Amino acid sequence: MLTKKLKIGIVCPYGWDTPGGVQNHVRDLAEFLIAAGHKVSVLAPATDENQLPDYVVSAGKPISIPYNGAVARVLFGPIAYARVRQWIASGEFDLLHLHEPAIPSISLLACWAAEGPMVGTFHAAAKRQKVIFAIGPILEPAIEKLSARIAVSEAARLTLTDHLETDAVVVPNGIYAKRYSAGIFHEKWAGNTIGFIGRFEEPRKGLQVLVDALPIIARFAPDVKVFVAGPGDPKEFVKEINPQLRDRFEFLGRISEQEKADFMSSVSLYVAPNTGGESFGIILAEALAGGACVVASDIPAFDSLLGGGEFGALFESENSIDLAKVIIDLLRDENKRKALASAGKKHAQIFDWDVVAEQIFSIYEMAIVGSKGVSLSSDGRTWGRFLSRDEEKK
Amino acid sequence: MKSLLFVGFLLLVSLWYLSFLATRLDRLHHRVETSWANLDVLLQKRAAIALEIAHSDLADPASSMLLTGAAYQARDANVKNRSMAESGLSGALGLIIADGLPHATDSEQALLQELSALTAKIRVAISIHTDAVSSAQMVRNKFVVKTFRLAGTAPLPLTYEFESDVL
Repeated sequence: MLTKKLKIGIVCPYGWDTPGGVQNHVRDLAEFLIAAGHKVSVLAPATDENQLPDYVVSAGKPISIPYNGAVARVLFGPIAYARVRQWIASGEFDLLHLHEPAIPSISLLACWAAEGPMVGTFHAAAKRQKVIFAIGPILEPAIEKLSARIAVSEAARLTLTDHLETDAVVVPNGIYAKRYSAGIFHEKWAGNTIGFIGRFEEPRKGLQVLVDALPIIARFAPDVKVFVAGPGDPKEFVKEINPQLRDRFEFLGRISEQEKADFMSSVSLYVAPNTGGESFGIILAEALAGGACVVASDIPAFDSLLGGGEFGALFESENSIDLAKVIIDLLRDENKRKALASAGKKHAQIFDWDVVAEQIFSIYEMAIVGSKGVSLSSDGRTWGRFLSRDEEKK
Repeated sequence: MKSLLFVGFLLLVSLWYLSFLATRLDRLHHRVETSWANLDVLLQKRAAIALEIAHSDLADPASSMLLTGAAYQARDANVKNRSMAESGLSGALGLIIADGLPHATDSEQALLQELSALTAKIRVAISIHTDAVSSAQMVRNKFVVKTFRLAGTAPLPLTYEFESDVL
């Protein structure tokens, strides 16, 4: 139903050159919309302005601030605000799509500066923080300008209703499902193998839980191997591992998208032992689409993505004994593994960009009904009307 | 002299705040109106599809009568009774879909598909509209807004009751 061609401005709050879920989502969405014939401009902070795709406009160099238990590379301040205003004024957009507008970033600045149809996507899931009482009244007038809000998961939606007392429509993050289902089976990763992808040095990714479970697993499946892919220095990590088990780990470093698809199609089990801080779990959607049998911790995001265990096995988060039990059970029972994997692969289609982008676009269509496009906001609008000056010149 | 300046400053700040609040409220009313217009169009479309289904072979004479009645009721209802009439239409459509599916021809299948796509959109539109209404109501209930009659003559936005599980 992508019939009417629009000019869409997307704001990405995080540095374009640092890897991250929101950046990937914005990139994929922008490229999908461009392929569908729309005009898209993405405003994002960037360190190196020369290496940007031509649809990205740099808002300046990002700065690192601690936020929500991690370091966020964002941008704000008077110069950034001026750039945002200039981008909005010169863009002549039909619609703005702001990502994560509730954090101090150019998304919030754009929300503040613009007037007209705006859609906001909320990615983060966090527990209720006390500080929200202080910043709520500042955020509220800005956030309520959004014509429609999207949350990427049920967890993100709950965070939003908790923090800002406003509801949202849940539209999942997108993946290119076909790329993953076309993954090639590699013998070297097959057998009694367990796959893990992510920045394994970060405790919240939970690789330690898997390491702790391995002695038990090795007793029942002596030939078990663990493949770990993702950026980081394995030497430091290996030091902590029981010497007898060290040779069962193989570190692949960072892998390409193609290798990732092959990886997901080849390993017996894909394990996501994350201990929290996850809002959606895009990697699980990719694993499912690649046809892997998924084992994940039962944190809310994973539980809802896996349909409460219907599309992948769940274990009690941070409980390595429970993880071992689930893994052994699945390694021994090939039929169960295959059944889970094929149910998961079918389910993964709902995360395909074809489906997701159409949902997002139908929200765009609702947001732009009866509007004349995006313009800079003037908070003196009432004064203008009072003095009978016509503010809307178009 | 100093205190006079201070009072003047306070007056200016409060004036600015009042105009800020009024702008905010104006924006919210606008949002309520557009989201309602949106929902209204989708609901009208649904009523049209319901009529089409009623006239197709999917419906036996009895359910056709029920559906036609519900669709006309939904079209004619005023704003206050709208949600009830639409729920009635949802119920009637639910009955047909529940037992009409197995012997549907291709064109009827397409009709049903259109209906389910529309239903998904309506669900989104409802949630957008309810959200707009509740934030407008929240701001209108503020003490300052009430005392200074910042809402002017704009009617209080109505909550649109809808049971999403019926849809």
